[in-house]
Amino acid sequence: MRRPDALFDGAARALSTRLASGMTRRSFLGRMGGAVLAATGGAAVAAAVRPEKSEAFHFCGHIWTTGSCLNPLGLPRIDKNGFPLRPSDGHPIDNLGRAVNSEGWAVDGSGHRLRSPDGDFLPRAPRTRLCEDWTNEHYKIGGVMQGAWYRCCNGQVRKLVDCCSHSNKRINGDASLTGYCFDGRRVFCVLYYDSGLKC
Amino acid sequence: MVETFTPAVCGSRSRQRIAIALFALAALVASAAVGATLGFVGSLVGTRPALIAAAALSFLAALREAGILRLPIPQSRRQVPERWQYERQLTLWSAGYGAGLGLGFLTFQPVATFWVACAVALALGNPAAAAACFALYGAGRAFMAVWPRHREPSGPAAVERLVGRASFVSRANAVVLGLAVVLLALAPAAGAAVTSLGRGFDPAADGQTFARARMDSGTVKVLVVPPAPDPTDTVSPADAPALDGSYLAYEDDEGIKVIDWRNDSPVRELDGPYSHPALDYPLLAYIRDGGAHERLVLADISKPSLDERNIASVHSAADLGRPALRGHRLAWHRIASGGSSINVLDLATNNRRVIKQTDVWMEANPSVTSRRIVWVEHRPRGSSLRMKRFGHKRTKTLMHVSGRKTLLWTTALTGRTAYVTKWTPSTRKAVVLRVNF
Repeated sequence: MRRPDALFDGAARALSTRLASGMTRRSFLGRMGGAVLAATGGAAVAAAVRPEKSEAFHFCGHIWTTGSCLNPLGLPRIDKNGFPLRPSDGHPIDNLGRAVNSEGWAVDGSGHRLRSPDGDFLPRAPRTRLCEDWTNEHYKIGGVMQGAWYRCCNGQVRKLVDCCSHSNKRINGDASLTGYCFDGRRVFCVLYYDSGLKC
Repeated sequence: MVETFTPAVCGSRSRQRIAIALFALAALVASAAVGATLGFVGSLVGTRPALIAAAALSFLAALREAGILRLPIPQSRRQVPERWQYERQLTLWSAGYGAGLGLGFLTFQPVATFWVACAVALALGNPAAAAACFALYGAGRAFMAVWPRHREPSGPAAVERLVGRASFVSRANAVVLGLAVVLLALAPAAGAAVTSLGRGFDPAADGQTFARARMDSGTVKVLVVPPAPDPTDTVSPADAPALDGSYLAYEDDEGIKVIDWRNDSPVRELDGPYSHPALDYPLLAYIRDGGAHERLVLADISKPSLDERNIASVHSAADLGRPALRGHRLAWHRIASGGSSINVLDLATNNRRVIKQTDVWMEANPSVTSRRIVWVEHRPRGSSLRMKRFGHKRTKTLMHVSGRKTLLWTTALTGRTAYVTKWTPSTRKAVVLRVNF
């Protein structure tokens, strides 16, 4: 008989493999998927998720028609907490699209803080969450990040996230769908997070 | 014109099409180039004078087209060089004809509208917009080259029918020019006239006197420009000027100084971590850097003890910027990672108001008078100079700069004239713009 911990490990690996290869969008799997994949370290993902050329409506992995959430630089790339990142390389940016250092100060390509015409350091611009803060500011709909799904993009696992709200319209202006949202919410816009895990 | 490309029994349909295409393309490009040039020149001249000139010209042109006024119009009484057809390749002369007609001023001008369009392109002050508008003139030229052939089997017959309607065209033209006069006259009220005042940043203004800071050879100096014929006064080293009549406040390495700029006599000195003065004598507002916190302080510099009053305070990671003080109102911005706001304190009633608050954008660098406030709103797609009248709900945009390479920055306001710094972060080059609204 196998040891209990071995049984658990095997079940977790089997679940993560099934999740990664599954093509159905179910809200509870969206919630569970990230945690399970993280727990198994991504090895199951690497085996199960075949690199595919995900047909993207406007970014890799996004195969539906819901538009991107508002963002500084044209693509809604976020960090794990929902703050904006530069789409090209994942560098943190502020709400104005400027690269920022770890303390939030705007920097140039060499990492030096930007200065005003008289040589003073520029003030930190706001840096807020694309789903919760930007959509609330513009649409007053109380958006929250909920469901997610995963695709292999550029050799790494991309997590695509629904920004969900109680609005019947999505950011495109037409009717919204439930998607991976729950608790009565519907998909308003989408964002993505690049995990860096190889696939 | 189209018969010129393919005279009777000479030339194929494809030859005709090629020639028409080249003619049209050249006409469009030439017209757009004229528009772009005029728009560029207009951006140097200033919108308001050009608008007034365009409205006046349009009025005179309307009278001329209506037959009320006899006015000669500048034109070159020439046609396209016929000999080109025999001496040049088809591709060259068809394009050459198009370019010549597209330029507009190398041929007959039966109506004055072309010159009105030139004046309006100057007033636009925007090369791209003026090029796009003027390209329509080239499109019209191209259309007239082709249209008669499609209307009638005989092109000349179609043109003669059009000539027969010349009086109707003149009257319609007069009506259009009359409408243009109305629109141009309204334009200064609807928009703002922007003029560059040259290198500098951190503008300050009081009535006709204007001040700005400027970096010269690594040293920041303040230039105070009174109305002519008084000369410009220069204070160095000095930064962040604030003006009130003959009083000038500025910051330097030691703190803040207030002087009478007419004779450079000192009025008051505040030595310490003080910066960004705003002056409405005897009141002086400034930022005090306390290390962990930054405070906006209001003081009475006519009193020995200053009677300092803390107005606002933020953690050092946030920013209170460059306050503004005028007409019993004190304005400042508050920028933090979680959002920004423009705030005003009415010194007479002690009421505070948030003029604009946002969790997303950066609202910065306000300036006030007793009736209005201006500030700069920064978004990823560009920065805008905003204006609001106290007691009114509507916010108006006085000007906008697109993109992130060039930004609007600090402001000043006096009457119906706003000043704003426009600068390029990568080069740190800055100019001050005057915006009349």
